[in-house]
Amino acid sequence: MSLLTNVMDHSLDEGYAEAAAARGGDGPYRIPGTARGLLTLGAGLALVGAVVTVGAVNAHKAEPTLARERDALIHRINDANGSADQLQRQVQDLRRKVESTQQHALASGDGDSAAVAGAVGLGEVTGPGVKLVVEDAPGTGAGGNVDPRSGQGFSNSGRLRDRDLQLVVNGLWASGAEAVSINGQRLTALSAIRAAGEAVLVDNRPLVPPYTVQALGDGPRLVSAFENAMAGQYLRLLQEKYGIKSTISAQKSLTLPAAVGVTLRTAQPATPEASPSASPTAGLSGSPTGSPGAAATPTGGSSAIPSASTSASPSASPSAGASPSAKATGQTGGKRSPSAPARSTTSNPTTATTTGSPSAATGAATP
Amino acid sequence: MIAVLGLVIGVVVGLFVQPEVPDAVVPYLPIAVVAALDAVFGGVRAMLDGIFDDKVFFVSFLSNVVVAALIVFLGDQLGVGSQLSTGVVVVLGIRIFSNAAAIRRHVFRA
Repeated sequence: MSLLTNVMDHSLDEGYAEAAAARGGDGPYRIPGTARGLLTLGAGLALVGAVVTVGAVNAHKAEPTLARERDALIHRINDANGSADQLQRQVQDLRRKVESTQQHALASGDGDSAAVAGAVGLGEVTGPGVKLVVEDAPGTGAGGNVDPRSGQGFSNSGRLRDRDLQLVVNGLWASGAEAVSINGQRLTALSAIRAAGEAVLVDNRPLVPPYTVQALGDGPRLVSAFENAMAGQYLRLLQEKYGIKSTISAQKSLTLPAAVGVTLRTAQPATPEASPSASPTAGLSGSPTGSPGAAATPTGGSSAIPSASTSASPSASPSAGASPSAKATGQTGGKRSPSAPARSTTSNPTTATTTGSPSAATGAATP
Repeated sequence: MIAVLGLVIGVVVGLFVQPEVPDAVVPYLPIAVVAALDAVFGGVRAMLDGIFDDKVFFVSFLSNVVVAALIVFLGDQLGVGSQLSTGVVVVLGIRIFSNAAAIRRHVFRA
């Protein structure tokens, strides 16, 4: 504060006081009397006027230049945005073209490829199925407006966690689901359900509660199979213990979108006598089952995190999938017991593999 | 009389001659203007206080302008030009304000 006080107190140049003191007590001195003094004053004021005027004129002159530069910059930004949009459109066009060409090539090679695409998640599929809606317990900040900083996150036991969702999805696969999507996001063999911070991610895209899991299959039978299986009991337990609400209902017609971000790496016709182990190596825990017909290996690019992935390989194509004899094999990795009261926040990978019987499909995909 | 004449001459010179300001000096012109205003207000206040001195006015004006521009120039070289010019404007602004307040007290007795 002393600096400010100093500035306030000594606003007048001390030279004036000194000069007045040096002159001695010859009375108040206002306008210089001598010609030299007057000339100095005039020259000083002329300089002041010149400096102020030049400054003002200069600022005035610079104004249009600045505006012009600004306009030029805005113009350039708009131009660049336009060309970016155009390139984006081009990308979309090309992507569509690649997709259609791919479909065409697959269709010409194998009649079942559309079904294969549907089975592995590359194509849209429609059919009867079940709809399972799981909702966080009330009062846990559910509803999409969770503040990641203030939210209690998974330490709050009323929230559905990634492992719960993994278990549910695995339960659906095991109960005979042919295709599964979560909140409109199709699961493939390489989909990962994980947690990052506060959010449950599917293929690295955060989900917003409520979680809607849709599964294609024989609706009523799927419902009963799921309810009686371990996953259904688990969900009931979650509801009792933590208030996580879930409703499952059979639907007459569901449409599951195609998975995005999946690139077809290899597509080669397998020889009919190929042994199951000769199928492409997906490099994941989803053990591929060999099959006659086309073997397509979609890989999810960077979205697949092997260390914590829930992978399932539905090898039954919808066309042949009236009764896919699917069975769940192995659920490993630090699972908490459903009855455990403490819900730890550490995320242990739960890996489950669902393998359909190879004989169920003629053109089965092995992701 | 001569004071008004000097001011008028300065404004006329600035307006009509429009001296070409070198590009290197242009950034320091606003600061120089503020420093010049500070000198003028100081001079007027000294006049009203009855301790005006033409030499002090002239020299303080010149040194104010030069020092203010120099500080900002130095700041530009050091990469803190905008901060330093803000500081200079703040200090000179405070001085102008308190001098203007003193002038007001002299003129209006309030």
